[in-house]
This record gives sequence, structure tokens and C-alpha cells, in this order.
Amino acid sequence: MGRVPAVAPRVVAAHIHAFFGLPAEVLPGLPAPVYALDAGRMQFDAGKIIQRLEGEAFPGCRKWIGVVEGDLFVPIFTYVLGEARQGGRCALVSLCRLAQKDGPDASPQPTVLERCAKVALHELGHLFGIVHCPDPLCVMHISGDVHELDQRRLALCRYCRRQLDQRLCQP
Amino acid sequence: MKSKPEILVVDDERIVRESLFHWFKNGGYAVATAASGAEALEKMAGRPAELLFVDVKMPGMNGIELLERIKAEYPAAVVVIITAYGSIESAVEAMKKGASDYLIKPFKPEYLTLVMEKIDQQLDMARECNYLKAQLEKKTRFENIIGRSAPMQAVFDTITQVADQDTSVLLTGETGTGKELVAKAIHAKSRRAHHPFVALNCGAMPENLLETELFGHQKGAFTGATHPRKGFLEVVNGGTLFLDEIGEIGMKMQIDLLRVLEERRISRVGSSQTVPVDFRLITATCKDLEKEIAAGRFREDFFYRIHVIRIAIPPLRERKEDIPLLARHFLSKISHETGRKVDHISQAALKMLQGYRWQGNVRELENAIERAVVLSTGPLLGVDDFAFLHAAQAKPAPGGSLLEMEKGYIRQVLDDCAGNITRAAAVLGINRVTLHRKIKRLQLSRGPQR
Repeated sequence: MGRVPAVAPRVVAAHIHAFFGLPAEVLPGLPAPVYALDAGRMQFDAGKIIQRLEGEAFPGCRKWIGVVEGDLFVPIFTYVLGEARQGGRCALVSLCRLAQKDGPDASPQPTVLERCAKVALHELGHLFGIVHCPDPLCVMHISGDVHELDQRRLALCRYCRRQLDQRLCQP
Repeated sequence: MKSKPEILVVDDERIVRESLFHWFKNGGYAVATAASGAEALEKMAGRPAELLFVDVKMPGMNGIELLERIKAEYPAAVVVIITAYGSIESAVEAMKKGASDYLIKPFKPEYLTLVMEKIDQQLDMARECNYLKAQLEKKTRFENIIGRSAPMQAVFDTITQVADQDTSVLLTGETGTGKELVAKAIHAKSRRAHHPFVALNCGAMPENLLETELFGHQKGAFTGATHPRKGFLEVVNGGTLFLDEIGEIGMKMQIDLLRVLEERRISRVGSSQTVPVDFRLITATCKDLEKEIAAGRFREDFFYRIHVIRIAIPPLRERKEDIPLLARHFLSKISHETGRKVDHISQAALKMLQGYRWQGNVRELENAIERAVVLSTGPLLGVDDFAFLHAAQAKPAPGGSLLEMEKGYIRQVLDDCAGNITRAAAVLGINRVTLHRKIKRLQLSRGPQR
């Protein structure tokens, strides 16, 4: 949504297919969600974007994930890396805080893309009704910032995997 | 899997309620929302949440007022205050009124994660504590005091009536009737149950030692007082103080204790400073304190202070129907403790025990069961196993002849054995023929003499 590097959604789709075993495709881009911009905070309201996207129709798609360049927030938090509602149809991933932009500690692109994939898998898990996991290595474990995110594996633990398999069997 | 607390989010802003609702749902929590303090109280009345997130600025009842109401009506509930208008003063006010944490929105997501981790631990500990308290209540609820007889039921009823008051209780009864057990039962059923129970036998130590035990002492107060020491009156700290053998204490100690009961302050030995004390007093005696007062050995004013409620614990001979129950209880306990496989007591032995005088009351009965178990040769305790009781009981009449002694003893044994010659002979350690001959010579009747 908006000016997002084309590789980012392709990486997300590939990881969904590889680690969740689900077919995923990259849909045509959507305009930047300016309707959700909070001028005071200079951030995008994730709730408003999700509400708009939930109303959209994406034929043939069971769930959809929006990748945005801008910084996302929900009212109580200063920012969120991603957002989804339990059992919903739409989730969001923000690239904004996944990269250290300047100086010698600037994150290399592969790291940024891996982080993007992790957030996407996490939020997709919520769309399938999986809650936060206590296993610190599981991608469903909560991550407050990129340092915590880097501790997660690009995989579900066996309990979350089992839950996902059960959900996938449901209509 | 650990159970997660039920959460209630209280905020007049819909988007805040929704944000927190979805975040907690993603975390696997059961979460409800309320748009006002009044709605929150309604929801709590229907289904109390363990954890509340409460906004400060709300129309009508504000968050601090809601916090006070919640803590008053649901003291175990954990409340986290969230506000967009934070200040140190408001944070301190909220924490003083019982808030567990204070978050200024918007906050970083990891702050909420940390708060939840802390609260989870807090709730786990509270749950464990409640569980242990419930177990403790179950365990001490008259469990250690055994009795189905009418006199004991009256004691239990009185314990239930007086336990939750703070009034002083005087327990009277012969030695070995279980006065300390009754004191513990009163404490366990009182609002002081989760504070210490401190027991002191006033008859077991000299008065100067009793003084320092009760009041404590300062360093250097006397030879050997190398450190300051708190006395039991301070240590009891909100709990119950049980003074056994209260009739043994001297006049000076009675005066000192009377002052403590009136002023609720003490000073340690060697100190002029006073400290407040908080305890409930239970005393016990096997003396007749009214007689002691008449004899000038006990102060009347002190007596009336300690004797607001009196519970008289009946001697074992006045509740014979409890003896089989007690005997079986002690048998089970002692067999388990000693590892001896003795698990039954015969009806004849029980009948014999019920006929015995038990001057030492329950303590003597327990002692007799223990002796019988230790010396038993099989899994069943019979009359023979308690033969020692008759040897202990037989006392020569003052100035009586040997013949009268023998007659009295054989009579006693026959009564205890309900006239059964075989059993009586076993107890006396003679054969049946010899017993028959003695009965004839001493002109005793065979049947029980009542």
C-alpha cells in the first residue's frame, strides 16, 4: 500500500508459502492509506486501515495482508510493527521501524525483509485465531521491537502449528 | 496451561477500548469493555474481572473514584490506571489508592507486555495464597478436636460464636482436656487466623523469665542481655496470644498484663519507651480462679479482664461416648507415626477404656494408646494390652489391709470386664480357676457392681 519496495510483498508471500504451507500471491498495489493518517502523530491508524480493508473484496483470497511503508499506530500504543484482529480477514505490516536507516548500524536489506516476513507470519497467525505463544522462539511470541523480533524463528512451535492445522481444516 | 486473568477495559473512548480489546484477544485473554465507571461496576457485579485497565478522565465517575470502589468491593482485583494526562502526583495518588501500575498513553507495546508479566506473577501468587489459606482453614476447622458428645458440641458452638470477636476468652478444664487445641481452634476461625498464634505456659517458668519472654528486653537490661529482643507481646503482631496456666502468675505480672490489656502498649524490660501492641488474648487454667481471688492470690480486676467469655472444657469422664472415637484416632495416628501395624481395637477394650477414670484426660488416653501400640504383639489391641491401666489405678485404701486391697482390686477388674471371668483373669494375670476361688473366698459377686 503506497510506495513499498516490490520485493517486500514477494518475500512475505514466499514465506507464507514456505512456513505455513499456504498458497500466497501478491495482489496489485493499493494507494497509500492517507484516510488513516493522523496529522498530529504523523502515523497511520492501523485500526482505520483494517476497517477499510475488511470491507474490500479480494476474490479467491481467504485472508489478506497489507504491507505499508509508513509508521502504524493504535491509540494506546506509540507504534505497532503490525496489526490484526483475532479471526479477522485482514492484517497489516509496517516496514517503518524494521530498518535502522542511518549510520554504521543500518540494517541490511535481508534483515529488514526477514523481519517483515516474521511480522507478517505473526499477524497471519492471529487471522487464523492463534494467540500469543509463551515459547520465545515461536513466531507467535509477542515482540515489542526489532531486537525481540530478531529472537524469533521463522516458524511456529508445534503447538501453534497444530492449532493452525486445525483452523485450516475448518471452513 | 496456566489460566489467564479475565480483563475489563474501562475507557470512555471507543477506539482505546477497541485497541486494548484486540490486543488482549490476540494475547488469548477473555476481555470485556465498559465505557464508564458505572458500567464497569455493573459488569463487575455480573462477572468480576481479576484485572482492570481504567482510564482516569471519564465523565461521571472518574478512574480514581472507580479504583477506590473496586478496591473496596473487590480487594483482590488488580487495577492498572491508564491516562493521557499523567503527572507524578496523580501517579502517586493512584498507587496509594491501590493501583498496581500507572501507564501514560500512548505507551510502547513492550511496556504493556512487561506490565502483564508482572501482573500474571502477582495473580499467580495471590491464587496460590488463597488456595493455601483455604487448605489451612479446612485443616484446622475442629479437625484436631475430636468429639461428638453433647458437652463437646456445646464447646464447638461456643468456639464458633466467639471466634470472630476480639474478646478475651478464659478456658477452664482439668489438665489434659485439650485447652490449647481449643485456643488454636478459636484462633483459626478468627479474623486473626493469618497472623501468629503464640502459646506460652506461665506455669513453666519463673516470673522474671516470663516477664522478659512477654515484654522483651533492651540490650544491657540485665546480665546476659547482649542484644535487644522483642517479646511475645510484640511478636504476636495482630495474632492471638495464648497464656496457659494463667493462675500461676504472680500479682506483679497480673498488674503488668492488666495495664497492657487496658493501654495496648508495652515497654520492653530496660526501656522507658512504649510501643503499641495488637493481639487477642486467650488464657487457660485448671485452677478455680474465684477461689484464688478469695484467697488473695489472684486479682479480681485482672480476672474480669481475661474472663469476658469462659469456655469450660469437660473432663473425659464426662464425655465417655467420645472415648472410642478418640481411641481410634490416636490408634491411627500412633500406628502411622511408629510404623507398627496395629489397626484395630476390640470392643471389649473400648468398653474397658470407657470405664476407666482418666484423671489425665485426653492426654492420658493418648499415652495409654501409644503404650499399648508399642507393646502390642498383634494387629488388634485387646483388653490385655491395657492391663497396665488397672495396675496404675489400684490404690490401697488409707490404712487398709492386704486383704481389703486385694478385694478392692479384683472388684475393680471385674467391673471393668463386665463380669467376664476369662477377661478378668487375663488382666489379673491368674488363671480362671484361681479367680473363681478368690471370688468365693473374698465373697465377691461376679457381676458388675454399679
